[in-house]
Amino acid sequence: MKPSAAFLLLVLLAVHLLLRAGLGFGNGSPDLALVAVLAGSRLMTVRSAAAMGFLVGLTEDAMAMTSFGASALATTLAGAGGARSRDVFVGESIPFLTAYFLVGKWGRDLLAWAASGAARPEFVPHMLVSSVPAALYAAAVGVALLLFFPALSRSRQ
Amino acid sequence: MAVRVRDGRRTGRIDLLATILLVMSAAILMKLPEGAQHAVGHAFRSSVLQPFLAVNGAVTRYKARVGDYDRLRAQHDSLLTLVAARRTLAEENRQLRGLLSLPARRPARFAPVTVIRPGTTGTSSVFHLDGGTSDEILPFSAVVTETGLLGQVQDVRARSATAIDWSHPDFRASAMSADGVDHGLVEPLRGEYREQDLLVLRGTAYLSDLETGDEILTSGRGGALPRGILIGWVLDVAETSAGWSKSYYLQPAVDPAAVTYASVEIGSETKPAEAVADVPVVSDSATAVVVPR
Repeated sequence: MKPSAAFLLLVLLAVHLLLRAGLGFGNGSPDLALVAVLAGSRLMTVRSAAAMGFLVGLTEDAMAMTSFGASALATTLAGAGGARSRDVFVGESIPFLTAYFLVGKWGRDLLAWAASGAARPEFVPHMLVSSVPAALYAAAVGVALLLFFPALSRSRQ
Repeated sequence: MAVRVRDGRRTGRIDLLATILLVMSAAILMKLPEGAQHAVGHAFRSSVLQPFLAVNGAVTRYKARVGDYDRLRAQHDSLLTLVAARRTLAEENRQLRGLLSLPARRPARFAPVTVIRPGTTGTSSVFHLDGGTSDEILPFSAVVTETGLLGQVQDVRARSATAIDWSHPDFRASAMSADGVDHGLVEPLRGEYREQDLLVLRGTAYLSDLETGDEILTSGRGGALPRGILIGWVLDVAETSAGWSKSYYLQPAVDPAAVTYASVEIGSETKPAEAVADVPVVSDSATAVVVPR
């Protein structure tokens, strides 16, 4: 991965934390941390992507007192899955990237929901009403970022 | 070519192994005891997340200073009225205690704190406080606002604490009706959507007859929460267990999302067994003291 791509990923993570943890925007801001994991995982080895996912998930878990570790588990798998998807899908087209971020975000939320145990919220309001728009939001922002910042695009590496 | 394939397989195996190790680490984190989980969380909050949480606290304080003047003025006026109305009550109370040879009440002490709400995933029922053991805040202390019980402190560090509000699945409070006759245990009831979250008062006597709008207060049983904090109002009967007990839906007194400042009850050295008898009624403003920070 190019240093510029690594720098952009770090900036994305910092902006995510600033918007959500710092300014408390919640779902008003896109899940830039997961966008960074999914975008970065296309540029990394599977183990690096999984490690990045683990750290990002753990950072989110640190703020919550409900089902500690669920976010780390889900984001690790999302990172590893994202990196592994490179061997299956080689496209960089907008429809593909949209589907990639959409499935990545929704899949990560589904894994986190499944791992939440007793604190698990209702499926329909959480996974359909709340998570689907969040996945669309993340997909739109993810695709836009890849278009605006070619350093994050795999074809430019 | 054969070397490249072998290298590829080896890399694939290392990747798989690393991913399995990380997934197992996450699974172990989920199974750790609460204290260890809090320690890991605190390590992140006091390092990587510290600047962002500091920004959150500063923004919350700034917003409160700029926009809440009218609300604070209204609260101030209401409190003045309340104090004036209860001055004679406090005097009567002191005289009656003297007649019964009861010792004077120990005033409840509160530490003012700023409520910091991170907007990250999974934090909808969790908030952080900018006070800790240095402000005498202890685990399981009650977090209250001017309208009632917001939640309970869970993890305390030197200058910060983490707390849950009443909508958290782990929240429980022993409760009673305002006249002290009906007792039960209050727990959250998740609505289909978070805005529909309610509280349920369980385990009250089958013959209890609480009516819509009746106040439900903390009873102080167990010693975790002081007696007399408003939890909410009765909405309706939730269920009856034939001949045994009755449950009621409660409208919570506090909207957690709207809280920027709160107070944490501190310095309660009451042992659990003495809690019911000794812990003063917090709603009695004559015996409550806010400790400046």
